[in-house]
Amino acid sequence: MINTASQKCHDPYLRCALYGAAQTALGVNGCCVLSHSPQGCFQLVDAAFGWQNADYTETLTLCTKLCEDEIVHGGEDVLARTILEAQELHAPIMFVITACGPEIVGDDIVAVCEDMRSQVSFQIVPMLCAGFRGDQNRGIDIALDAMLKQLVASGDGGRRPPRSVCLVAPHANANPTWMGDLNWVKTVLAQMGATVLVTLTHDTALADFRKVPLVEGCLVLSHDAGQAAADELAGCYGIEQWCRGLPLPVGFTNTRAWLSELGQRLGAEDVAQGMIARGEAMVVETCRRKGLEQSAMHRAPAAIVADATVGIPLLRFIAEDLEMIPELVCLRSGQAPARAMLESEVADLGLHPKVVFDADVYQSKMALAEVKPEMVLGSNVERHAVEALGIPFVFQLVNPISRWRMIDREYFGYRGMLNLIEDIQNDWLNRYRSKHRRYKARW
Amino acid sequence: MRDDARIAFHGTLQQLVAKVERGEMVPKLQASHAPPCKFWTAFQVINGIRHMVPVIHGPKGCTYSVASAYKMRGCEYRGVPLEPTTCTAQNETDVVYGGEGKLLEAVKEADQRYRPDLIVILSCCCSGITGDDVETVAQTAAREVNARVLAIRSEGFGGDFRSGYEDAFKVLMGLMEPRREVMKGTINIIGAREGPTYTEWVQDLNELERLVQAIGARVNGVLCGGCTVEQIRKAPSAEMNASWCYDWGQKLGDLMEQRFGLPYARTGQPYGPAATEEWIMGVATPLGLAEQAREVIRHELAAVSGELDTLRRSFDGRTALIEISEFPGPIRALSLASMAEEFGAHPVVINLHPYTVRERLPSIKFLLERGQNPEVILTRGIFALGSFNASASTQEDVAVIAAEYERAIYIGSPLRQPGVPQVNMTTITGYPQYGYQGIRNMAGLIESSMQHAGRPRSRLFRKVLYGD
Repeated sequence: MINTASQKCHDPYLRCALYGAAQTALGVNGCCVLSHSPQGCFQLVDAAFGWQNADYTETLTLCTKLCEDEIVHGGEDVLARTILEAQELHAPIMFVITACGPEIVGDDIVAVCEDMRSQVSFQIVPMLCAGFRGDQNRGIDIALDAMLKQLVASGDGGRRPPRSVCLVAPHANANPTWMGDLNWVKTVLAQMGATVLVTLTHDTALADFRKVPLVEGCLVLSHDAGQAAADELAGCYGIEQWCRGLPLPVGFTNTRAWLSELGQRLGAEDVAQGMIARGEAMVVETCRRKGLEQSAMHRAPAAIVADATVGIPLLRFIAEDLEMIPELVCLRSGQAPARAMLESEVADLGLHPKVVFDADVYQSKMALAEVKPEMVLGSNVERHAVEALGIPFVFQLVNPISRWRMIDREYFGYRGMLNLIEDIQNDWLNRYRSKHRRYKARW
Repeated sequence: MRDDARIAFHGTLQQLVAKVERGEMVPKLQASHAPPCKFWTAFQVINGIRHMVPVIHGPKGCTYSVASAYKMRGCEYRGVPLEPTTCTAQNETDVVYGGEGKLLEAVKEADQRYRPDLIVILSCCCSGITGDDVETVAQTAAREVNARVLAIRSEGFGGDFRSGYEDAFKVLMGLMEPRREVMKGTINIIGAREGPTYTEWVQDLNELERLVQAIGARVNGVLCGGCTVEQIRKAPSAEMNASWCYDWGQKLGDLMEQRFGLPYARTGQPYGPAATEEWIMGVATPLGLAEQAREVIRHELAAVSGELDTLRRSFDGRTALIEISEFPGPIRALSLASMAEEFGAHPVVINLHPYTVRERLPSIKFLLERGQNPEVILTRGIFALGSFNASASTQEDVAVIAAEYERAIYIGSPLRQPGVPQVNMTTITGYPQYGYQGIRNMAGLIESSMQHAGRPRSRLFRKVLYGD
């Protein structure tokens, strides 16, 4: 296990807290996100917009475009003015996210928002998420905390609908089309008779926040962020966290464990076991009919370079189901629960991979150079980084990838297994494709 | 044209400049027009240098963002290997206690890890406000590491996108050695940024390099379009500077002229035959290659005579509505206006955003001095709050404008379809737009626009773009 804490020079995989907060805010339908920042930070909001599949006809992003004047004299006036101007947008809610500059110079963003509340017709939620507060996962936790504290009423709201669920942090997931994972979870829950009352956040209606205290259970859909929100839901509203400590449902074993626990929680054991039986049969049958490139995977020394959300469950999937030999796991994050979960998985599988938490690009490349796996399950960054290392295969599974994906494709569950296998096989075959022609055709 | 509900300004470029100089019409509070900050553009310049490692003195967000935008794009499209984008990952402790020591260690670590020719420290908002002295750290580090070390004060609030470009070029002059034995027949092309040109497509810079070689000159380096530290070092000993875009080259050209006495060819962008000839002769004449250049021009013009006829036929007597101020850019819009006029059209530049005019005043004044003073229309749409609102209402505004002119042709963005023949100036196969290859491409685009003028906007595009 490598300790990355002593390094001074970082080549990060992750953006900052402002980005994570923007991602989270933009998951609320029809909201307006105001970035109290110089215009450069607004590019982060733009990136977050895409990550949440926000629709520009509904969701609006603004920026106070702070310059030297506001840093010297303070930017509270310009913030107040922008909030007033935003009235013409008729958005029901505005999230004010703050960058490093205004937080350091001491703009009292919370007080400005408080002052403006009586002058505008929409709700205002300030989020103190300056980049120096941490990485994007920290930003997601900051934003979720702000939402729970400012948008959720106290929990005396009456009877909990049976089998009602709150989903937390689905967007803290490096699957480039993580909405596929979210949809799979919702489908599975529906089949077990559960109702998702609120998702924090994606396609979340403002009214959904009122339902938070009513839910029975919550599921954190990330190993990178969201645990603090789940703890808050438990502490404030007595909402139980389901599937806590289980790797997310990627591969046969993880999916089986995850569905089984849900089945027990929801009194739907039979339904869960039916799903498992049908799902496993479908995967086997599909691979038998469409073709599974065992030759590529069997005993192939492999490395995983990913976020914890995809990376941890992927470990068991490639080791148990695809017969690869995981020799390196580089995780871009390293929250304590994720560390414990990975260590437990490694021990349970009887594997001895090199493990790097909080890896940056340099750490990953050096670890890959040392381990020299045959294949890397990672991103487009690794595709370029390993060019000179003689590692033959890089499968682009996690963000950033160099492909356009219009259709949301899950990694969770049984179709998720096939999606992963398809990606792996396509990248594997692409590597074989001729880059040069030996002679020219005559026509 | 008088439609106050739609038109925010209608006049000449000169009149618009006067308004901007009086501080009018420059909105601040919306994000419909939010180009990158100073940090992004400073990074973009240095990203065009080989074996350069940036050490960004700031949090991770600024770092990953520019790496994702520029480094990955370089790897994907410009044939550049993955090079690092590093930072000090400033946290709350650094903000409270300062991070100069951490920065120095980070520079040393970067030197050891990556063995670069050059390390550039860039300050961000955090380090800029807390007052970390990045220049002194750079000087200290330079004594302790093998690479050259420079520092750019590039905190995002410290200036607009233009200042990032200019300050980066200014700092890079610190690498330049005094003008010694002049490299005869050699020029620098200046004002480039981000990296070399695409490997799979021919771009404007490639056309310029082709023309420079055709007249018998050679290029020392394209600063900073994938150049080496060595090329920057000996740049003052080239015979002269020429710019690939007058706007971006102007500051560096002026500064190098002042410090090193290096002549600078002040020419506009080579759109169309007259501007292309001017660009070529602006380089050839000082190099003593005028005769060869005239021969090249004769030969090249003869080769595109058919395309020139097409352009004359297509433009003559028309109103050319030009709206490319967002992309490919405002100075190109003015260059294109000039070309349209050369072929007999009446150019009207649409939505030359006052914000961009303010940032480009020196270049725009240069064009005004050369007699370029086209009609300009600004629609209210570009001032709308929210990017979708701006885009949807601008489509309506531009359609109304197009209907008011007889025989209008729209040269601009695929975001609009104003109901007249229109040219998509953003298609990658339409490049280069410069030089003689540009004339070929422009003729092809215009011809196609005339043939397909009657085609409607698809329901899919209309709903996606305008929501109706």
